[in-house]
Amino acid sequence: MKRLVVIAGLIAALIVSAILALGVGSVSLPTHEVITVIAGHLGLNAGAPSDQLYEQIVWELRAPRIVAALAVGSILAVAGAGLQRVTRNILADPYLLGISSGASVGAVTVIVFGVGQGAGPMKIVMFVAALLGGLGALGMVMLLVGGRLMEASGTRTILAGVVVGQLCAAYVSLAIMVFATKDAAVAVLNWTMGSFAGVRWGDAVITIGVGIISAIAGIWLIKPLDAMALGDTSAASLGINVERTRSVVLIGSALVASVTVATVGPIGFIGLIIPHIVRMIFGGQYAAIMVLSPLLGALFMLWSDTASRALVPSREIPVGVVTAVVGAPLLAWLIWRRGGRP
Amino acid sequence: MTKRWALATLPFAVLLAACSSNAAPSGSESASAAPTTEASASASADMSETAEASESSATTAAAYPVTIENCGLSITYEKAPERAITMNQGATEVMLALGLEKQMAGTAYLDDTAISDRFKAAYDQVPVIAEKYPTFEQFLAAKPDFAYASYQSAFSEKNNKERPALKDDGINTYVSDFGCDQDKDQPASWERVNDQIMDIAKIFGQNEKGEMLVKDMTATLDKVKDNKAGKGAKVVWWDSGKTDAPFVAGGTGGPQLLMDAVGLENAFKSEQSNWFNGTWENFVAADPDWIVLADASWDTAQSKIEHAKADPVLKELRAVKEDKFVTLPFSQTTPGVTLVDGVESLDKQLSESK
Repeated sequence: MKRLVVIAGLIAALIVSAILALGVGSVSLPTHEVITVIAGHLGLNAGAPSDQLYEQIVWELRAPRIVAALAVGSILAVAGAGLQRVTRNILADPYLLGISSGASVGAVTVIVFGVGQGAGPMKIVMFVAALLGGLGALGMVMLLVGGRLMEASGTRTILAGVVVGQLCAAYVSLAIMVFATKDAAVAVLNWTMGSFAGVRWGDAVITIGVGIISAIAGIWLIKPLDAMALGDTSAASLGINVERTRSVVLIGSALVASVTVATVGPIGFIGLIIPHIVRMIFGGQYAAIMVLSPLLGALFMLWSDTASRALVPSREIPVGVVTAVVGAPLLAWLIWRRGGRP
Repeated sequence: MTKRWALATLPFAVLLAACSSNAAPSGSESASAAPTTEASASASADMSETAEASESSATTAAAYPVTIENCGLSITYEKAPERAITMNQGATEVMLALGLEKQMAGTAYLDDTAISDRFKAAYDQVPVIAEKYPTFEQFLAAKPDFAYASYQSAFSEKNNKERPALKDDGINTYVSDFGCDQDKDQPASWERVNDQIMDIAKIFGQNEKGEMLVKDMTATLDKVKDNKAGKGAKVVWWDSGKTDAPFVAGGTGGPQLLMDAVGLENAFKSEQSNWFNGTWENFVAADPDWIVLADASWDTAQSKIEHAKADPVLKELRAVKEDKFVTLPFSQTTPGVTLVDGVESLDKQLSESK
């Protein structure tokens, strides 16, 4: 019962937050105009906003950002929760397998070397490049571990991920140091800090689609993931296909994380801390983790992005900075509180 | 992370330094040292009256020693340097604009663009000692007696030595104040551009050439200012940023000088930065009459136009619908002697579209 109340509370908080966030931004708009725009899109006959600008800012700029932030937050949290169990590593998150570094290689190749520029809209070129980079990194990890991707301990996989990640990071640094002009270096830096600023409805639809799929997958995986807490052998004796679960989580996380990186750049921390926060408050049952993590991840990401676009009115603060600044003390407090009572 | 931050700050330093390019409007401190031609001619009769007067009239027999205060370091020159090294494009172009290529032992570190056509012939006469910053070995191998850079980063323990240490070794140095750590937050101004030109001219005993250069640039600037091709129009100066936040010009850098010169109104003038990560909301709310696009090889103006025309929000902007785009190479927006080329180009593009 307590859990249902929490779920209902989180969903209510998400809806209220999303509506509040529509009214917040670098351009301050009259509240009634914001309400008019929202009501119009909810099918209520509220009349047209008095200026097309309100429609553009609220519905074309803010709304897709909010949707994408909710989706990305939930995707990263679900992926992190799954990876932490199948790799038996509490530090696992979607980027541990070198995915974000690989995606950065793709993005940097476009920004610094101009590869693929002119082949289509920059946005799509970047999206494809980051996606290819992320999947390429995953491919390299799988090659490195050979057929042992699904072996009992995820240690080898994680080490391979670290190796590939470092290699990709070296490529990015080299490209910036040696080949990039000063301007390109700024662009790369901006990209590596993650941002929802460029999100439009097209991106929002993609991420929300992926978000729904990953949330459903997370719930579908509750039973096998819980069983795996007891060890692979016990899980297998309970009729769980351990190898399949592990490969679904590893490859699935890489895929969905690549989509988020391609859309908004790498955003750290969410995938790592959200499952831990849920675990510390509600215990280690995946029935709780897989339902609450996506909701909490979405809420956390939404407010991080809202802060990144509203804290300093005329400027964008990189969202990765906000997630770290808010997330680190939050996790620290939870660790401390838990340490206080064994 | 440290390296990334360092990298991140580099472009800003570059931009600042770039803001030093040309003509001084009236009232410039250094330019005020430059009397009119008639005045200097008559002053030549009693050259010794003031140091300024004697300097300005003596091209062949310059009055040394000359003491130049620059970026927190005061250096006295007993004679003109004979083996100068320049680092960064802005510094190289100031030297070439003053016709000093014969006294140069090497150049290094062009920006993202090639050297301007008008300096090409002179530039080719000077050896390029490194593509980016030279190593200390390459630096010493050129046997410099003077080194001039656009950014303070050129003189660091990492690259060679800091300026006081180089001075002890007998190598005098000059840093553009746009790239000097203690001065670079000051707004860009034509005065600062001119001061730099005059400082270099004095170091090399070429005061008349410096004054002529400043005067030429001032004349070009005045002409453009009278023309007011952009009068009353509001602009957003869009450097880069398509898939994330727009990187746009604020009110204190080279672009602001260019906009002021042609009478354009910068939508983000109140922003105390040369460049900053703006927001699309402000971009759209500004509803500019014109969009100025920086054109760089890695991020062309054309790609920005295509993005704007495809983006569901930007394509609704008046300026995008009406194709009100102006394009400038990045190098002409940075404070160097080519800044005035940017002014001319801006003036021409705006005038032609009327």
